[in-house]
Amino acid sequence: MKIIEHYRSSLPRSLSLLAVLLASVVFFAALAFMFDQAREAVKREAMERATQILDNTVQRADNILSNAETATANTLWQIKRQLHQKDSMVVYATAFMKSNPMMEGCSIAFEPYFFEQQGRYFSMYVGKEEDGSLITAIEGSASYEYFYMDWYQLPKLLDRPAWTDPFLDVDVDIDNEAKMIVSYGMPIKDDAGKYVGTLSTDISLSWLSQTISAVKPYPNSYSIMLGRNGTYFVHPDTSKLLYESIFTETLENDNPDRLALGQAMVRGEEGVRQAVVDGEHCYMFYKPLGTTGWSVAIVCPEKDILSGFHRLQNAVITIFILGILIMLLVMGRIIRRQLKPLETLAAQTEVIANGDFSQVIPYDGRTDEIGRLEQSFTHMQHSLVSYIDQVKRSVAAKASLENELKVASDIQMSMVPRIFPPFPDRDDIDLYASMTPAKEVGGDLYDFFVQDNRLYFCVGDVSGKGVPASLLMAVTRNLFRVIAQQGYTPSEIATKINHALSEDNEQGMFVTMFIGMANLETGRMDFCNCGHNPPVICIPGEPARFLSMQYVNIALGMMDGMEFQGETLPDIRGQRLLIYTDGLNEAENPSFELFGNDRLIETMNHVGGKPSRVVIEEMLEVVEKHRAGAVPSDDLTLLCLMLKA
Amino acid sequence: MINLHRYILLASLAITTLTAQAQKITFTPQWTAQAQFAGYYVALEQGFYKEAGLDVEITHPTTSLSAIELLRSGKSNITTMQLCQAMQSKDDGLDLVNILQTSMNNALVIVSGNEETPLRKGIRVGTWSVPFDQIAIAMSLKEQLEYEWIPIASTSTLLVTGAIDATLAMSYNEYYLLKQSGVHLTEDNVYRFSDHEYNVQEDGAYTLRSYYQNHRDELKRFAAASRKGWEWAAGHPEETLDIVMDYVTRNHTVTNRPLQRLMLKEVLRLQTDRESGQREFRLRPDMVKLANELLLESQLLLNEVKYEDLIAE
Repeated sequence: MKIIEHYRSSLPRSLSLLAVLLASVVFFAALAFMFDQAREAVKREAMERATQILDNTVQRADNILSNAETATANTLWQIKRQLHQKDSMVVYATAFMKSNPMMEGCSIAFEPYFFEQQGRYFSMYVGKEEDGSLITAIEGSASYEYFYMDWYQLPKLLDRPAWTDPFLDVDVDIDNEAKMIVSYGMPIKDDAGKYVGTLSTDISLSWLSQTISAVKPYPNSYSIMLGRNGTYFVHPDTSKLLYESIFTETLENDNPDRLALGQAMVRGEEGVRQAVVDGEHCYMFYKPLGTTGWSVAIVCPEKDILSGFHRLQNAVITIFILGILIMLLVMGRIIRRQLKPLETLAAQTEVIANGDFSQVIPYDGRTDEIGRLEQSFTHMQHSLVSYIDQVKRSVAAKASLENELKVASDIQMSMVPRIFPPFPDRDDIDLYASMTPAKEVGGDLYDFFVQDNRLYFCVGDVSGKGVPASLLMAVTRNLFRVIAQQGYTPSEIATKINHALSEDNEQGMFVTMFIGMANLETGRMDFCNCGHNPPVICIPGEPARFLSMQYVNIALGMMDGMEFQGETLPDIRGQRLLIYTDGLNEAENPSFELFGNDRLIETMNHVGGKPSRVVIEEMLEVVEKHRAGAVPSDDLTLLCLMLKA
Repeated sequence: MINLHRYILLASLAITTLTAQAQKITFTPQWTAQAQFAGYYVALEQGFYKEAGLDVEITHPTTSLSAIELLRSGKSNITTMQLCQAMQSKDDGLDLVNILQTSMNNALVIVSGNEETPLRKGIRVGTWSVPFDQIAIAMSLKEQLEYEWIPIASTSTLLVTGAIDATLAMSYNEYYLLKQSGVHLTEDNVYRFSDHEYNVQEDGAYTLRSYYQNHRDELKRFAAASRKGWEWAAGHPEETLDIVMDYVTRNHTVTNRPLQRLMLKEVLRLQTDRESGQREFRLRPDMVKLANELLLESQLLLNEVKYEDLIAE
């Protein structure tokens, strides 16, 4: 993880790693393909080579064996000319041995009683001693019935010349010395074509063993030779010679591969097979040896055949790995140098980001992407500086404006009564009001005062918001106070305010307003609703409802000369009135859902019986909850009143 | 009196010396060293003979001196022999006594060089130059197969070259040698005499009656120790094989361990009587009778050799 983090934290590092990884994939694919092809080519070449060597070996062996065959055939011809001359046989055998020094012995053996005076046995044998001298013997006895020997019987029974399998020439009576011999036998026939005996010539297997054993195309390869019955006659493990055959391993355990190989070899086939020999994968190249019925094989361990290839493979893989490492290093450095300006840039932008715009972004004259980036950064830095300048100025201007607005807001708030309870010396008036502008200053207003035992009050809402509305609010509030103090009824007050506002109303602004005048003695309330929301009235024992009104006049300031109609409630004592602006019932939550009249009535049902302050506080709380953090879109003014009996 | 005492003393000393000294016995199995004789090797190597108070020497026959010749000449005291061979020898006048019968079944088979049955008329069949083939000859005559018998010295070369069509083999020896020569052995090309009406016992240990009469006790002990050797071999095949391979190496037998392992297994199998399922170590009168019938019919035996004449008591 640390390594990954180490690489991810640096662009040059991660870029060079990526490049090297990509290169590795490409190289690896190419190498794998090359190795595969090379391996096949090496194998093909090795097979051709081994086959060639095997062919040459077999050819060489075959030549020697052919010579023996020819020499034997020549002697047979001589024997047949003087078949009944028993004494000639030693001459022929000796002559054969003298003219064929590579031969070990020669037997001219006859069927029982062929030479009657010789009795059952007559086998003229001339053999070579260790010192090269020749010995002569007439062989055959009850303990050596040569008729049963392969060298005698094969040509006889097959009725053709034949090679025996190699055998041990054991003469236990003399020195128990064993030599491996092969014999080539030819049937001797009389003039009538009747078989009368066998001419057999012996050849030592040692020369053949040496010839075949010497074949070593690879360091660990070796050659074997099998007789017709699969017996090993040449094998590097001499303990197997004569004692084991290629089938020995199949005796106790199933080994179909070995069985098939052995059968192919003893059948005299030629070919290549893969086999597991002593736990090692090997190629066996096999070929029959002339007319002998023997089979020669070269066993080449696969790893030997491929050793050159594996050396090459290891070298290439080493170079590949080293190359990748060097590449990683060099690429890293090159990319680092190329991206150095980016690093500087990163450091300097960090400084700039921290507010130090005085940093000079270097430009080294490059025209590539990095050069352009440097230029863009410089440009951006300049723009930033000028922009931030502008922003600073705007902020300062805004701050001053805000300050003014704050003052204006204070002034506006000071226009409406803000001390509660407003009439501490009277316990018959429970009145509470609240005004919350949506902006610094608002267009809502309320007012109340007591004059001549009458309570004048109003709640109004100027069209629009902000400073213009606040100015009109101030005007309207003053008009209300000045006109109401002259003892007019609510409808007269409305008519007069309307007139005053309508004059020179070029902005076309207007004010909705509920104006009320309650007689504190009788509880009668006159009121005039100038386009304002109907107040909610809570009569004890009844559900809260909107005050039903006969006349809903137009808003103030809309049309000059209008006569406003007022109405009267006979006695509002014990009843609670909530007069509000549309900032209440039209308060929106983030999903733009309105607070609504129903919720208003419902809330009043809950809180209508409580003191006015509590009503307003809880109402504000409910609205706030409904708004759920949404910014108020309109000013909100509430006035709650109850006259006590 | 003094003299008499001295004589008695001398005589008793001589007797003591005689009994203390183990009796020397030379035993010669009928073939080269191999697992066929494992029980005897075991008895010697495990000291069973010694325990029985016997000093046994095991020798093997040579090409010029067969086991029976050694027995006849007195150079060997005991040899192994097949039942038919023993009967023929007895018929020829050599008075043999069976002191231990090991084989309870016949091991002889005929293997054809091709995939066909060896029971084909007039084919060339390889045989041994020594008489192990009586049952096969009897069978061929009975079945009128007119085999051309070819005595052979090697086991497989003539068969695999096609010089002969079939060959006799012992199921514990040549059978596996043929298998090792790549000859494909099937139900079809192998004829087992024991599976037909020719199941005649084979190997047993024999001695001359003249020798037997003077050495009854030692021979009984030899038989018991040899039997113990065979029982041990059956219980310890791998250790037995080690012993066999020692003999094989010493005697230059051309073989190998897998072949000897298979031989031992088969020889032990042949020692189990089919009816009782036991290793019985006895001559069966019915098998002697069967052998007589077969050999007399094929004139391999001129006179009947009775069971009672073969056994020791």
